[in-house]
Amino acid sequence: MAGTMASFNTALSGLRYSQVAMDVASNNLANVGTEGYVRRSAVAASMSTQDVPALWSRGSGVGDGVQVAGINRIADQFLDVRARKEHGNQTYLDTRAASLDRVEAGIGEPGPNGVAAALAEYRAAWQNLSNNPGNEAARNQVLSAAGALVDSFALQHRNVATEEEALRGKVLVGLGEVNTLASDLARTNQSIAEARGNGIDPATLLDQRDRIAMRLSELTGATGALRPDGGMDISIGGVALVTGNRAATVEATTGVNPDGTGSGAVTLAVVDATGTTPLTGTSGELGALAELLTTTLPSYRAGLDAVAQEFADEMNAAHQAGFDQAGNPGQALFSYTPPDVVASLAVAITDGAQVAAAAIPGGGLDGSNADRLSLASGIEGSYQRLVGVFGTEVSSVHRLAENQRVLTQQVDNSRESLSGVSVDEEMVNLLAAQRAYEAASRVMTVMDSVLDTLINRTGLVR
Amino acid sequence: MAIGRVTQSMMMRQSLAAIEMNSSRSASLQEQMSTGRRLSRPSDSPTDAILAMRVRAEAAANKQYAANASDGAGWLGQLDITLGSMTDQVRRARELALQGANDGAMSPAAREALAIEVEQIREGLITQANTSYLGRPIFGGVTAGSTAYDETGAYVGTPAAVNRTIGNGVQVRVDSEGPAVFGPDGASLFDDLAALASALRADDGTGIRSGVTALAGRLDALVDARTDVGIRQKRIEDVLAATVDTELTLTARLSDLEDVDLIKVAIEVKLADVAYQAALASSARVLSTSLMDYLR
Repeated sequence: MAGTMASFNTALSGLRYSQVAMDVASNNLANVGTEGYVRRSAVAASMSTQDVPALWSRGSGVGDGVQVAGINRIADQFLDVRARKEHGNQTYLDTRAASLDRVEAGIGEPGPNGVAAALAEYRAAWQNLSNNPGNEAARNQVLSAAGALVDSFALQHRNVATEEEALRGKVLVGLGEVNTLASDLARTNQSIAEARGNGIDPATLLDQRDRIAMRLSELTGATGALRPDGGMDISIGGVALVTGNRAATVEATTGVNPDGTGSGAVTLAVVDATGTTPLTGTSGELGALAELLTTTLPSYRAGLDAVAQEFADEMNAAHQAGFDQAGNPGQALFSYTPPDVVASLAVAITDGAQVAAAAIPGGGLDGSNADRLSLASGIEGSYQRLVGVFGTEVSSVHRLAENQRVLTQQVDNSRESLSGVSVDEEMVNLLAAQRAYEAASRVMTVMDSVLDTLINRTGLVR
Repeated sequence: MAIGRVTQSMMMRQSLAAIEMNSSRSASLQEQMSTGRRLSRPSDSPTDAILAMRVRAEAAANKQYAANASDGAGWLGQLDITLGSMTDQVRRARELALQGANDGAMSPAAREALAIEVEQIREGLITQANTSYLGRPIFGGVTAGSTAYDETGAYVGTPAAVNRTIGNGVQVRVDSEGPAVFGPDGASLFDDLAALASALRADDGTGIRSGVTALAGRLDALVDARTDVGIRQKRIEDVLAATVDTELTLTARLSDLEDVDLIKVAIEVKLADVAYQAALASSARVLSTSLMDYLR
């Protein structure tokens, strides 16, 4: 049986618990807009007189009040893993879509200003020359139409090259961010371990850990694994980036120089004290950038080069089979230096008289070679295929990104549903704690009045 | 969505996503509406984009075929007129020859007059054989010079076909080769006329009669050549008519592929606008409500 004063202590424990509950609710409310904040809840546990009953001991069993058993941080690590994965995929697709959109806008097809339109003008110029082989203006028109066609090829090539340059710059910025985040996470891991050891609540540090891991996943598609000490290890495609309080760095071993220049395939690697491990299966923003720079954009440029080379070769062959105004055999019409065909493509003839419109030597006004040239080379087909394949890729990446967005939102919602702060709920918690506090105070008043009756009024006869 | 616990930031995020989705849909419809184009980039519809590029190439080729055909029609028209007037001239020469052959009692002065007229006809025919279209002699093949025959009636052109491409792989010859119509040098229309003139002067009855026969053959050759020109003209006219039809078809096809159906898009814009306003209104209502409004 507890002493008379015990009830005061019981009431006091209620006051203390309510105080903590109000603190937790107000902290949750204060962080309602904080990115990555996970709501906490106070866990109450009733206190009994004896935790471990002794052999002959007795207790009345009413209990000795309440205590704070702990502050729960309400998160689900499996949901977090899922969210990191989906966010990595989302940034991968979004980065890809944004870049391909920019390149596509520069293609200018179908329309009156693209390569296809320039090609049609070029063919028309040859036909006009075929109708008037002696006309100086028609000859020069062929040359200027050829120049316009070369320019429209070059414009597309330049667009892609400019995009590649911009992407290389983005790779550098992304790598810088990844490396900063990795070392931040290593420091946070260290702090979490120390806080655990010292018995301090590490909830704020855990929020920070999850925030950093999420951003790392968005950048690289990295996966995280929880450590027994509360920290998180991060690896990209199976290669460890952060282990406990040690962080390696991610670097571009080929394709991007430190000054943002570079060419060719981009390979990323994790560099630590033991050496350099190349990365495969990188996703996220950096994965998308590396793939764009290694495969997608170079293959479009190569396709354009192949089309231009096929065109130049066939045109040159047909042109060289003809004879110019003076009756001499035709020269090459286009010049280029492999392998950068489009970048070096130029019209090799400047004098209209050297345009080989005639199929027969002797300087007559024959226009049949011009007619042949106007029909030579069926590059329209290969060019249309090139544009069509690219368009399909762009529309497919948009569709994928749209589908992924639904999935990502769903996972985010599940996570928010579990860990997010609900203002209404916290208000209710706050009110409940307030009422409990008032009730505990009332208990004290009642006890006080009971004791007053017992001490001051007992035995008094008026 | 089976979510039990809904927080303010979830509602906020969903409202924002809905508003963004609706406004981006509005923006894309607005783009279609204001540009009038359904197909602005290949990814809008890769298959249609390729088709549109093909149709554009075909339309450009068709336009060029029409231009080539018009040019060819000019050549053939000139040939037709020239051959017609040459036929008349040759017929007159034959009449003169017949006159010389029938009337054995003609005075030398009268025969001389006939011979002079035949010679003048011959010179006129040589001039007509040098008729040019846009600076090029129509009987001269691909010669770079300005004449097909010199003043003696010898061929100075370069024999080769002048063709016009009037369809995919379809070529029409728009000139006539001098020697093929008028006969080769040494046995040409002009040589026949020169022989006739000297036979008239010499009162060579046999020579005159063989001249009459030869001119009859020449007349047949000229009519044949003119018929051939007529057939080619017909072909070109058919193609010209067809290119107009083809142009209409191709323009309609391109419009089908690239242009928006304005009425449809206008309705879609309206719908998107309604959806957008609904998203805004519901967001405004949901986000402004909380338990705090009811607690005192």
